[in-house]
Amino acid sequence: MTEILKAFVNVIIKMPQGFGVTLKYLFRKPVTVQYPKQKIPMTPRYRGRHYLERYDDGTERCVCCGLCAAACPADAIYMEPEETANGERKAKVYEINLLRCIFCGFCEEACPEEAVFLGQDYEFSADNRNSFIWTKDQMLVKHPRKENPLKRIIRRVRRVYGVPTAK
Amino acid sequence: MADSTKIETPARTVETVTFTINGRTATVAKGTTVLQAAHGLGITIPSFCWHPKLKPVGACRMCYVEIEKMPKLQVSCATEVTNGMVVFTESDKVKQGRRAIIEFTLLNHPLDCPTCDKGGECDLQNLTFAHGYDDSRFAFQKLRKIEAGVPSTFDDIKIGPEIVLNRNRCILCYKCVRANKEAFGEYDLGAFERGNHTEINAAPGQQVDNPFSGNLVEICPVGALTNTDWRYKIRVWLTDQKASICPFTSSGTNIQFYVERHKNRIFRTTGRRNDAIDDGWLSDVTRYGYQIIQSPDRLKTPLIKKNGKQVPATWDEALAVAAARLTEIRDKKGCVCVGGLASPSLDNASLYTFNKFMRVAMESNNVDYRTEYRRLPSSLDNPYDIAASQAFTIADIDESDVIVVIGSDLVREHPNEYLRVRKAEQFNRSKVFLLNPLSTKPSDVAALELVHKPGAEEIAISAICLAAMESGWASGVNADDLKSKTGFKKAADAAGACGLDLIEIQAVARAIAEGKKITIIAGELVTRSREREAIGAALCNLNRVFGVDGKGQMAILARHANSVGAARLGLTPDLGAGFAGALKSIWGQYPETPPQNTDAMLAAARKEELDAMILVGVNPVMIYPDREFAREALDKLDFLIACDLFETETTQLADVVLPLAGWAEYRGEYFNLEGRLQSAEPGIAPLNEARPAHQILESLAEQCGSPLFAGMDQRNAEMEKILKVDIRRPWPTGLIEVKPQPQETAPERTVALIMGDDPHHSGYLTEKAPSLVGFCGEAYAELSPELAAKLKVGAGDSVRLEAATGKIIVPVRVSEHIDNDVVFVPRNFMAAPVNSLVSRKQRVDWVKISKVSD
Ligand code: SF4
Ligand code: SF4
Ligand code: SF4
Ligand code: FES
Repeated sequence: MTEILKAFVNVIIKMPQGFGVTLKYLFRKPVTVQYPKQKIPMTPRYRGRHYLERYDDGTERCVCCGLCAAACPADAIYMEPEETANGERKAKVYEINLLRCIFCGFCEEACPEEAVFLGQDYEFSADNRNSFIWTKDQMLVKHPRKENPLKRIIRRVRRVYGVPTAK
Repeated sequence: MADSTKIETPARTVETVTFTINGRTATVAKGTTVLQAAHGLGITIPSFCWHPKLKPVGACRMCYVEIEKMPKLQVSCATEVTNGMVVFTESDKVKQGRRAIIEFTLLNHPLDCPTCDKGGECDLQNLTFAHGYDDSRFAFQKLRKIEAGVPSTFDDIKIGPEIVLNRNRCILCYKCVRANKEAFGEYDLGAFERGNHTEINAAPGQQVDNPFSGNLVEICPVGALTNTDWRYKIRVWLTDQKASICPFTSSGTNIQFYVERHKNRIFRTTGRRNDAIDDGWLSDVTRYGYQIIQSPDRLKTPLIKKNGKQVPATWDEALAVAAARLTEIRDKKGCVCVGGLASPSLDNASLYTFNKFMRVAMESNNVDYRTEYRRLPSSLDNPYDIAASQAFTIADIDESDVIVVIGSDLVREHPNEYLRVRKAEQFNRSKVFLLNPLSTKPSDVAALELVHKPGAEEIAISAICLAAMESGWASGVNADDLKSKTGFKKAADAAGACGLDLIEIQAVARAIAEGKKITIIAGELVTRSREREAIGAALCNLNRVFGVDGKGQMAILARHANSVGAARLGLTPDLGAGFAGALKSIWGQYPETPPQNTDAMLAAARKEELDAMILVGVNPVMIYPDREFAREALDKLDFLIACDLFETETTQLADVVLPLAGWAEYRGEYFNLEGRLQSAEPGIAPLNEARPAHQILESLAEQCGSPLFAGMDQRNAEMEKILKVDIRRPWPTGLIEVKPQPQETAPERTVALIMGDDPHHSGYLTEKAPSLVGFCGEAYAELSPELAAKLKVGAGDSVRLEAATGKIIVPVRVSEHIDNDVVFVPRNFMAAPVNSLVSRKQRVDWVKISKVSD
């Protein structure tokens, strides 16, 4: 008997209460982001896919020193250096396997040339594993990024030590 | 491997001194420096400019220690330990001193580490990390040494074919300049300008291209000197080190490969200092020679000749064809019809497998490893082999006070021994005598250099014996006996006959007679001579006259990485009853056929009495002293198997070509010229389809229906038994008759040709190493200025060298170091086959030389 009574109360009281919540949210501003039509801004320290920097004159900053690869806990970075016509060192091959990468940002911290950093993009899905190995060309693209305050300090140090900086 | 902290006691000191270091009392030999003593006690003192094999200079001040009663810190590398000295190496004052020195060293040192190839193995990086400040207090512009008009931001300049210098990084330790001068006797690198502006650079108008230049890069404590071989290729921490042995020299220089495992690629070679052999110095051939392994020209697959054309095949096919033909020839005509030649640079397992393959599977005694020598003795009891089998210790050269080099162009043949001779002269004031048909290095340190007529080695040696006898230095030798055995009445006659002054001969004789410790080295010019037995006899007499075996050492040095192993494993056709008996007891069988050496085999092949040959790592067409003879012989064979790393003139003639793995691709053991057994780890896995020689021969034997070993254990056990056979022969107790064959004359060809290795090459394979080609890429004719003037040629011109057997055209190199009646041509280049000018029957190869007018 009590069972029947409880069910009755549920139907009469609890159900409208539940629908009420739905009804309430129906008229509120929705929190769901309409991805991919909409995107939320990332926090400033969000670590997404990698970019490679250039100097202002367009030369690549990366000298293929291998420190990012040495720092990488996931062993995601592979590179091969080469010598340019005027005897400078630069990367012939620079690849990051984004499937291995754990987006820790150690590579960015290790880089003495301020060349590699993790941007804010997280959209790099693909339908095969090979396309997750990002190459130098893919990472050397123009990127939306504010200047890192650390960069100024590093520029000053470079000036002091006489290391060539971008003009 | 020797420990780098071994205390080096200067020779001839016995006195000791006692001192205290960090509270410990220790006794060391007098003359030991504080730094060496500390290292010997396991106390590390940081240093930049100190090198165990060079004299101290005290340039970097990094090795500061505090010594009681001395007001200032002292440089430990240049301070000798004295009695009662009290030393502190870790006091606050020392630590402060080190910090200051690092700061000072870094004053003008650029922050180049990301682009610098030394990064990860740099002394400056490491010591700064260990002893330096975290921060710099110097906030001014650093000095940059810039080459005018060079747009690079890195200021690198190329100072040699292989060496790149960055003067900004240099910390002026002077190690490179000192090593170049003290150890190698080369002056192509120096320090210029003064004070803050001091810089290291190549000597004006010169290139740093001496045969030991790679060492300068290795000892540079920073990245100021780098070599193009390693430059910008890989980071050192990504490589593994593999201990190996140099296959190009006979002393078995200890090397290590830097290998990237995933790429299966060697990136460079450095030394693995072994004080008994190499002192840590490598010749450039040793250093860059590994490149041949990774040459794109390597043979990739087996080849089989079909309808006169070689076509790629699988291993199974190739082995099946080879085995079928070999068994057919072996069984059809009786076993004398198969012959085999192996390279003396192969490892023990391969050589032994080859021996057993020939003697057991092919039932033939036609086995040899000496392809490049003329008129080979067939048995081992001749005077040459007696002199060649003598014990020799490389490290003993250091302590010898008299060193005589006979018939050896040391720097080209035996780079390690060459450096030892220099070291003995530099550090020990030893007297060096050179007795050669051409002027050779180290003539600059020689007390006397005797250049005799070509083809008169044994007369010159006899002259020394006679001079000693005439002056009463040869006790216990019958004068008449000596005269009759040498065939000369007086020393003066012999000296005249070989074109030397009696007084020079007497000086050598006197030095040998008075020497306390003597080293007499004979080399390739003896071994390659047709009269090697007569020269061997003269050397035996020399030993008898001076009693060399009682107060030193004398030997004809082996030339190839494993010549000693080849001899000890029985790769000669006639082994004598004892050795053959030992082999028979191990194998249970031994062929009865007549033994034929290389000469006999090739002669038989020309007469079509030999039907098949198997060549493992040898290229007779290129190295046999008669090119046409060898080519015709091999051409006439019914069936030829050639195993090699590259396509050569010989493999082109072969019916089956099998790609051979190089020494860096498999584990092997080698005997160096002292008889020291050393093993080499594989650097990489065999490239393409190459296989090690022992593996090829084993599969071939299996396919021929006579498997050689049940397993590796059996092979090793058999080898162990064979190596117990002693092939050393004692010096004869009496005098031996020196009886050369009469010399041929060739009046219209007036210049004697001497062929040998270029200092940057060895054998016919190093042409495939790009770095070595960078030093020397083509054959040349080295002429004296007088001869060049006579022919009206200069650098850039070419000359034609003609002999009865052939002719070649090569560019001219004029050298002060060569005499008027000889011309030197390297034998390392396939494009200029100098062995086409020589004949196996001749003693001296006279050539006609003329200018090529274009
Ligand atoms: S973010 Fe971390 S895991 Fe990813 S590449 Fe950089 S170092 Fe490696
Ligand atoms: S650490 Fe920076 S400069 Fe060095 S290889 Fe990585 S990205 Fe290039
Ligand atoms: S180049 Fe290297 S070895 Fe030579 S003085 Fe400079 S730092 Fe020393
Ligand atoms: S190591 Fe002593 S001064 Fe350089």
